[in-house]
Formats: sequence, structure tokens, C-alpha cells
Amino acid sequence: MLDIELLGMELKNPLMLASGILGVSGASLKRVALSGGAGAIVTKSIGMTPREGHRNPTFVELDNGYLSAIGLANPGYVEFEEEIDVAKAGNVPIIASVYGFSFREYVEVGRVMEGYGADAIELNLSYPNVGKAGAFYGYSEELAHEVVEEVKKEVNLPVIAKLTAGAGDIVAIAKACEDAGADGITAIGSLRAMKIDIETGRPVLGNKMGGLSGSCIKPIAVRCVYEISREVSIPVIGCGGITTGEDAIEYFMAGANAVQIGTGLLSRGITIFKKVSLEIKEYMEENGYSGIDEIIGLAL
Amino acid sequence: MNTMEIAKIKRVVKDTQRIKTFILDTDVSAIPGQFVMVWLPDVDEKPMSVSYTSGDMGITILELGDFTRRLCELKVGGKIGIRGPMGRGFKVYGDRLLLVGGGVGMAPLAPLAEDAIKEGKEVTAIVGAITAKELLFVERLKKAGVRVFVSTDDGTAGYKGFTTDVLQELLQKETFDQCFTCGPEIMMFKVLNIAEDKEIPTQASLHRYFKCGIGICGHCVLDGTGLRVCKEGPTFRDKELRKSHEFGYYWRNAAGQKIYFGVKK
Repeated sequence: MLDIELLGMELKNPLMLASGILGVSGASLKRVALSGGAGAIVTKSIGMTPREGHRNPTFVELDNGYLSAIGLANPGYVEFEEEIDVAKAGNVPIIASVYGFSFREYVEVGRVMEGYGADAIELNLSYPNVGKAGAFYGYSEELAHEVVEEVKKEVNLPVIAKLTAGAGDIVAIAKACEDAGADGITAIGSLRAMKIDIETGRPVLGNKMGGLSGSCIKPIAVRCVYEISREVSIPVIGCGGITTGEDAIEYFMAGANAVQIGTGLLSRGITIFKKVSLEIKEYMEENGYSGIDEIIGLAL
Repeated sequence: MNTMEIAKIKRVVKDTQRIKTFILDTDVSAIPGQFVMVWLPDVDEKPMSVSYTSGDMGITILELGDFTRRLCELKVGGKIGIRGPMGRGFKVYGDRLLLVGGGVGMAPLAPLAEDAIKEGKEVTAIVGAITAKELLFVERLKKAGVRVFVSTDDGTAGYKGFTTDVLQELLQKETFDQCFTCGPEIMMFKVLNIAEDKEIPTQASLHRYFKCGIGICGHCVLDGTGLRVCKEGPTFRDKELRKSHEFGYYWRNAAGQKIYFGVKK
């Protein structure tokens, strides 16, 4: 009932683990797939060289969301081969998230991930907390177009562009990516934000600024998915504040073909994918739907 | 909710040359084995075992790097940020308990011992340090009614050698219902092996590089198990650790690269 085909991948359900969540090691990804029930897993964003990321605090809980600035910490693409190998035992498609400080780096890491046996590449054009990587490319139509075009020239896997609502016009960016040959769009990544502790008068995060995620960004993300879905013909993957089946259904109705879950794991645990799957099923049965595709784009 | 709370330092105790305890004015309370993330504005945030769990909460800090040096400079009235309590504490079974602590590893074991004694259990502790002046909580344990064995690497107090030597000898003569250990991972690895030979169930408190501290970033996940040290740990049962080819061999740094304790397996 929940199985879908997306960009040539068979997913047992349309719920993916979002990048940056429990994705640093193969053991972790495997657990999310096997015990958690995710339909696909997106790895931590991987770059050319190991990065320790920002200083702690890198993650704090707010009243209705989360603020984080891990800073693209990752072991680098050389050491990530064995993590992908281990993650494969999870028996679900593996989408490798890739970031770079140049077009060349995005291409190089993408090619290597293809060699490691990833099923698709998600270009991180959305991460807002490291200067000239991630969102730096997603803020500009020209840069987004070029990075997708360069990667598509040398990578034969489906290429998904993950975008940020921090861009002036996310729809224009999505269209630029589609024009450049992107096979799919993920919307959205966390939003640049900050928190100041008023007792000490200091920004809480080590990086001062961070990315806002959780339920507080869901209405913005749903709007983005809705607007993008109306303008592009490639699949759109919704991301931002999904904790329940109802949240996911809202995204499907806005035009998402699949969704990603991240900080929802904090309130509902690693098995959130199983729980949300059940909730979607219940909704579909109650309302007489037999496949996800009947709900997708209903609100458009 | 796991928001940042600001706590004032109520009391500072100099435990050894390099170790200090900070008693905090906070509503946060923990059970032995749990930890809090301690924030020094503009410096860093790191996990610290809770070393006093009944009454005012306390943390015990070994001065090791920049963060702990800055922390140890703080005086009464100073402010630090606290997130927590986090993780899973020790679970006490049986009546005869054995503790094996190395260095500042005694921090989460001492409150466990005090609670157990209050509940009428028999507690034996093997306390180790590099030298006599660095032995932690020996008097505190004795005062609580714990039978204490001491070892120092240089022989300045107690047995000259390691806690594991004392353990080996003790288990020739006696047995225990449960063993608890915290300290250098190589030591804990050996403790697990020795206790396992004698069929004594063991719980160990692990140390890893934490970022989020609440089980979402994935930087502290144990290979072979998928378990998060900050969430399902930091205390683990021997059975859980036996499934991990990481325990006793390597940890992962802030980038997620493997760093081997000794020689690569």
C-alpha cells in the first residue's frame, strides 16, 4: 500500500531518513533502516576531506523546534566507503548526500559515492552554517544550475538537489536545477536562525548561528513543496518538521512524492518510520485510498 | 524538553591535584551513570558524568584540555549552562556489588555506591589512579561504608599496578552479583573479560565524542550495534558491548574518523 517507485528505486514506504540525522556511520544507518523502518536512508553530507565541524553547543532544543550547527562534520569520502558497505545490510536504497566548496568537489565526491554503490546522490545545496558550501550554491540560480549540470555530466545515478527556503526565490532555484538535469528536488533544509541566552548574554551555539528545524518550519516547507510542485515536473521530496502521518500526508497533498524525517526521531524515537507508516495507512483506509499516488498533489 | 539551563556554582571542592567537584544550584537531577552537557559560553560544551545525585547535583572534572582548564578556573557564583540529565544510568541488581574505577572514572560510581549502601547492599570498590595524590573519592566511599581497595601505577598508595590486577586477585576468593566499571576504555575492556570469566554481569560507562547529546546527530553510535552512547548509553551491559567490535579498540573523533586506542585489530 505504501510502496513507491522513485527515480528507479523501489521504496517499501515513502519515508526517508533526512541527511544529517544518525548518518555518520554505517552501523547507525543500518539500524535506522532495519529497526526504524525507513524506506530509504540519506547519509550524512560527505565532502572531500574530514571535517570536525563547529564547536559545541552544536544542537539545542527550542520551544517548538531545534537549532543546530554541527558544521558538516564528516570523516571524508575516503573513509566513508566502509560505512556505505555496512549500511547496505539495511536493505533499503542509500542516497549519498554530497557537499563541496567548489563544483569540482561536488563532482568528485558524487563520482566516488557512485563507485561505492550509492543508489542516488543528494546534492547539499541547503546547509546554511558553513560559508562557501551547501546553501552558498542553493542561494543562487546560476550556481545551483552549474553544480547540477557539472555533476550530471559525470555521475550516472539519479541526482537530487536539496534546496533551502533561505533562497530569495526557491521556485526559481528548483527550475534552474531541473533545467540543468536534476532528477529530483528535496525541499527544504534547515533555516538560518539563532538563539541568545539572556542570562549570560551569549549566543548559545558554538557557531552563533544555526539551522532551525522541527515543527516550526513545517508550514514554510509545505508552502515550498506546493510552489515547486506546480512548476517542475521532476519528483519533489518534502522535508521539515514531519512527526506524524498527518504531517506526511500534508506534504503528499502539496505535491511531494516522498518525504524525509529528521528531528521527528527525537520525540518519537528511531521507529518513527514504522509509526508514521501505520498512521498513513490508517488515514488511507479510512478515506478509501489504495495507493500513495492517489493523494500526491491533491491540494494543487 | 532538553533546553539549556543556566546553573550557578554553589560550592567547589578540590578533590585531587587535577580534579575538582562543582556542586550546582539547579533543579536538574540525575541518577548515577547519567550525564549532563556542560556549556561554557564562548568556549565549548562537553558531557560530564554526574558525581553527586542526591541533594544538590554535582559534577567532577579532570583538568585535561582547554575546556576543563577554563571550567576549573570558575569560582562559587560562576555560571555554566546545563542540558540534561541525559542517557541511561546504571541499573543495580543483586546485593553484592563490585565497582572498578580508574581515575576520574570514579565520578559516576561514587553516587551509585552511596545509594546502594543506603539500600542495604554490600559494596566493594577498587579505586585506581596513576599516583596516590590522584586517587578520587576514597574517603567518600569509606565514609559511606564501602570496602575499598586501592591501586596506583607508581605504588605510592595501595597495590602497585592496575585495578585489573587487584580485580583478578579478588575474584579468586570472592564473587559478586554485579560489577560496575568506569575509566579508561582499555581498563574497562579488561574488567569485562575478567568478570566474564567469573560469570559476573558487568555494566560499563563509556566515553565518546558527543555533539548533540540527545541521540540525533549519530556521532557517538557504536559500531556493530547501532547503539547511541549518549542515548542508549553511556552505561552498557556486557552483552551489548560484546556485539561491538569498536569497544576496547577504537573511538571516533569529532569528524567521525576512527581513532584506535592501541594497535589496529
